[in-house]
Amino acid sequence: MKKKTAIIKLIEYELPECFLTNEILATDFPDWSVERIEQKTGIRVRRIAAQYECASDLGVRAAEKIFINSSCKREEIDYLLLCTQSPDYFLPTTACLMQDRLGLPNSCGALDFNLGCSGYIYGLGLAKGLIETGQAYNVLLVTAETYSKYIHPSDRSVRTLFGDAATATLIQRSSATKEIIGPFVYGTDGTGGKNLIVPTGGSRLLRSKESAEVVEDEHGNFRSQDHLYMNGAEIFTFTLISVPNAVKKLLFLSGKKMEDIDLFIFHQANKFMLEHLCKKLKLPENKFFISFKDYGNTVSSTIPIALNDALSQEKLRAGDLVMLVGFGVGYSWGATLVRWV
Amino acid sequence: MNKQEFIVLLEGVVEAEPGTITGNETIESIPGWDSLAIVSFIAMIDESLGITLSPKKIADAKSVDDLVALIGDNII
Repeated sequence: MKKKTAIIKLIEYELPECFLTNEILATDFPDWSVERIEQKTGIRVRRIAAQYECASDLGVRAAEKIFINSSCKREEIDYLLLCTQSPDYFLPTTACLMQDRLGLPNSCGALDFNLGCSGYIYGLGLAKGLIETGQAYNVLLVTAETYSKYIHPSDRSVRTLFGDAATATLIQRSSATKEIIGPFVYGTDGTGGKNLIVPTGGSRLLRSKESAEVVEDEHGNFRSQDHLYMNGAEIFTFTLISVPNAVKKLLFLSGKKMEDIDLFIFHQANKFMLEHLCKKLKLPENKFFISFKDYGNTVSSTIPIALNDALSQEKLRAGDLVMLVGFGVGYSWGATLVRWV
Repeated sequence: MNKQEFIVLLEGVVEAEPGTITGNETIESIPGWDSLAIVSFIAMIDESLGITLSPKKIADAKSVDDLVALIGDNII
């Protein structure tokens, strides 16, 4: 029987036009200088969606680049996976609306899945499953996020870190005889849900006049219940435990050693977290790819953006084995290996 | 790690001049002890002692001695 092996064919990304620079942030948060913001976050600029620009708009533009830069035609896409926590509506499914906007065939499956920083790994896992069980030939995996719309402008803890972006990845069936994507490690710990959350707007807590009341926290940040809240210390502690464990488990499952990995691409959470994880795992710095300087933390898009940048900088080449690790909101985490083809 | 080494580590975390923290002050009175410093403190303790401290317990600490107590037997 002919092999049905999933491979990553192409990755594209799209950034909104508006720039949020450290100069703007230093004006809004006078306690911090431009230099201090760059030194602490490692970020030079974040890109922010326009007022009426949705995550799906960025996602459609990223996906259109796939059709420009590959031989895959839109009528060949038989599954669209959209990872987002900024959907257009509660319902319908944003991926269904994107099927129409992208001119994908009616025979195409489409679904949204709600994950953040671990989302790209889960998307690759779903795409691999669809392809290798014969359900799809060409899967379009889109990650699209506009956290900026959830952020209070006076909340330094998140405004300095997050940027908006979307990516599109074409995952195709090939006849490769060896596994190209995988194995996978997944993990979930819902006890951490409260540490990275937009409390209102869903069914659990409705938006109201009371929920919109802005209060100052103990660190001088302002937000209401309708805004994104992040407990940075708790998130950091979670990653200190979950990420090294996921890396070890993935190496065990794949029978590989650290030295067998040509490039490590972790979710680009922030400079501090990445530097610490790199040191803790004793990874060689030249194999630990960094790409947040011009985007900030773009949630589920950081890993595909980094992959694209690593390719264009020739840090990732055909034949390389790359380890991808996503972790964050949920808590949710995932890790996988990809042999670059 | 002894208490003096711990204080030096703490001074590094809050970017204070050496010798400015005596060890007897309340945490609130230490300039620079903010959310970033707490994350930095967790990282430093993880790096030097291999212990993952609970952010909630750090937030509950009132004095430098309370922080020392979190590290337990690892401080002499």
